[in-house]
Amino acid sequence: MTTFALVASAVFGTVNKDTTRDRLIYGLKVFGEFMLVGLALSWILYFLPF
Amino acid sequence: MARREATIEAGSIQSWLTGGIAWLIPGAGHLLLGKWGRALVLGGAVWFCFLFGLSLGGHLFSVNGNEQGFSALLQIPPTVANLGSGGLYLFCWLFHIGFADDPGHAARPTFEYGWMFLLVAGLLNYLAMLDAFDISVGRKP
Repeated sequence: MTTFALVASAVFGTVNKDTTRDRLIYGLKVFGEFMLVGLALSWILYFLPF
Repeated sequence: MARREATIEAGSIQSWLTGGIAWLIPGAGHLLLGKWGRALVLGGAVWFCFLFGLSLGGHLFSVNGNEQGFSALLQIPPTVANLGSGGLYLFCWLFHIGFADDPGHAARPTFEYGWMFLLVAGLLNYLAMLDAFDISVGRKP
């Protein structure tokens, strides 16, 4: 999940923003969101009985 | 002025060619445009995902007509995603790498991670291809 988040956020940051600073900030933000959503979904699925 | 805008809207032959090359060889489109940094990040991400997916034992999808009923339709979305990898997919298709469909192959613990990375590689390359096209047309700096 971390590997995927790293790669995808690098691409999203590069494609979506124009300056290096904006790319870095956006990439970090997307990376954090991927990790948070992934962990949250994992815990939700862990408690589901089916 | 209007003619230039029309060219930007439709894209010149060179832009379409750049997009095509970006699809065929991940990262090459940006290299042609002289965007070394972008080529390294975007191309590197696609190559890494694809090779990592294959090394994990991932499966590449194709629609070969042998599927029964609706399973043929289910093969189409992942095949489209895999096709995004361009030349990497075509190379594997030609040499039959990653298309094995036997239970032993699917039993590998990393099998599902593998095909997911292969799908992601294709989808990211579609983004990279569109980015190269947009830069070539002049919509992006």
